[in-house]
Amino acid sequence: MLEVKNLSKHFGDVKAVNDISFSVGKGEVFGLLGENGAGKTTTLRLLATMLKPTSGTALVGDYDLVREPERVRRNIGILFGGESGLYDRLTAAENIAYFGELNNMEKSELDRRVRELAEIFGMEEYINKRAGKFSKGMKQKVAFARSIVHNPQIMLFDEPTSGLDVSAVRDVHEFIQKCRDEGKTIVFSSHSMSEVEKLCDRVGIIHKGNLIAIGTIEELSSKFKGDSLENIFVKLVGEKNEH
Amino acid sequence: MNIKHVFTVFKKEVRDIARDRKTLLTNLIVPIIMMPVFITLMGGSIERMGKDISENITVALSENSYTDEIRNLVEGEIFKDYPNISVNGVVSDPIQSVRNDEVRFVIEVEPDFAEKLAMGQPYNITVIYDQSDTKSSGSYGIIASAINEYNQKVVHKRLESMNIDPGILEPVKIVQSNAAIEKAGSNMMIMMMIPMLVSMLIAVGGIPAATDLVAGEKERGTFEPLLTTQSSRMSILLGKYFTVTLFSIVSVIAQFTGLVVAILMKPSFFNMANPGGSISVSIPPAALILSILITITLGMVFASLQLAVSTYARSFKEAQTYLSFFIFIAMIPAYATMMMQPDDIKFVMFFIPLMNAIASLKMVLGNVINYTNLVVALGTSVLYVIISLVFTASLFNREEVLFRS
Repeated sequence: MLEVKNLSKHFGDVKAVNDISFSVGKGEVFGLLGENGAGKTTTLRLLATMLKPTSGTALVGDYDLVREPERVRRNIGILFGGESGLYDRLTAAENIAYFGELNNMEKSELDRRVRELAEIFGMEEYINKRAGKFSKGMKQKVAFARSIVHNPQIMLFDEPTSGLDVSAVRDVHEFIQKCRDEGKTIVFSSHSMSEVEKLCDRVGIIHKGNLIAIGTIEELSSKFKGDSLENIFVKLVGEKNEH
Repeated sequence: MNIKHVFTVFKKEVRDIARDRKTLLTNLIVPIIMMPVFITLMGGSIERMGKDISENITVALSENSYTDEIRNLVEGEIFKDYPNISVNGVVSDPIQSVRNDEVRFVIEVEPDFAEKLAMGQPYNITVIYDQSDTKSSGSYGIIASAINEYNQKVVHKRLESMNIDPGILEPVKIVQSNAAIEKAGSNMMIMMMIPMLVSMLIAVGGIPAATDLVAGEKERGTFEPLLTTQSSRMSILLGKYFTVTLFSIVSVIAQFTGLVVAILMKPSFFNMANPGGSISVSIPPAALILSILITITLGMVFASLQLAVSTYARSFKEAQTYLSFFIFIAMIPAYATMMMQPDDIKFVMFFIPLMNAIASLKMVLGNVINYTNLVVALGTSVLYVIISLVFTASLFNREEVLFRS
């Protein structure tokens, strides 16, 4: 479903992403684990076609990342961490519909989908109210709905729980599990070990742009003699990152 | 590029901004109200000042001159035909009285003036006034002209007593013939103000929208999700570009609505160059259309440059700071050409960005229409629209600019 092939991105002399390869199957959650600045966001931006790779490519569904970026975007949904990134002066429905329209959805199909999403996320009461007055939790639900309005088969989550409180984090986790249950292919970046352990089927540890380890948590654990993911991570990225 | 996406972005941005009370207030409501309020206050105060200068002139005599003979000369002869000048008694300290605004003028006449007059000799009338005081210096001309008229009367009497025609003193008579194009004279204020206002307003009108549409979106975190939709960057940029252009033009229209209201409320303010005349602008439709198109293309150039700056800026504040310089870009040519007359406009001006729009508006409002120049101005403006848009699009597609942090 998603196959990353020798993907690199250089900014001048800086190798933000350096020749990484991995694949993620249908209904699988792949976690990209790394420190701040390790290359997680750049990898996801490359997969979302926001950045052009310096070399390498990826097959997203049946489409090539470099040759068919617009078709790739049809197949992906993305959720960023931190601020939910909604338009405060638009209603929840307008926020969702805007992204649906830009993803080439027809009006009637879009109206039906917005109603459906409102029901799925329990937003019926405030779907026609402006987002500016919403609580963080309400905004997050709108952002979830917006990211899947066009029913993408591949979901990219860029540190989606960063800066969120406990209940909001739980909502995000439930949303990721829901996407997996629907058979979506998921790439999830995080620097939280517990989160990765809880949600991911397989993990890739990224450090200074290089994918230094890849496998299921069990595989990594047996390779590193029963160590916890945290210890494995520390061993791999070096003692200097412990603090 | 997808036209449907361009329209979707445009529709969303217009809806978003139209719901922003702050932008509506600064872009629409304030411009409509500001001009009439400003002109009413300023025009009212100028009118009051003018009325005071010409109608309420107070004159006193110095103690030395406060004699029946001199009072008869001043009140009964010199200011006899001037009901707007009132002679109010005597003052002991003329300088202080004028400085303290007790009276506007103090007149001192030589005590032996009657003898000198009878002998045909000149005598002095000293007019004490305060040149630093607007009212005193403004009314001085009226006092001087009253004394000159009296002078002429005396001269005429003397010549007549000698049986000489007073016309001998005026070998040449000036006959005035105004060659100005009809109505142009009465539009001086309009001709001066409108090109300046248009260029400055169109330069700043789109700033709030441009700042919000890229730098604002980046800061609020809505920009990255937008780039992950199927819409191309060019479609997103064009949707935003038309929104900024629209708001630049709306801002100019709002200001002009205010200007028209101000003209209707206080026509005398705009007609100071030709008191009593009417304000009328008669522009042939083709010239009007050309000048509107030139103005719109100028708005489009500014819109794309503003979006370029907003794209380049790291934050909303940084964009605001950079964009505030746009007013200076427009101010320099606007003020430099403020006093320029339509006849003085050089052909080369129609090729220079911004100057071409100012020159075209001056020409059209001055009723000195040259269609070749207008077409050149429109052609160069369209070229600048293309250049500025290509520049902004290239910036909008550059990762290092778009994701600059």
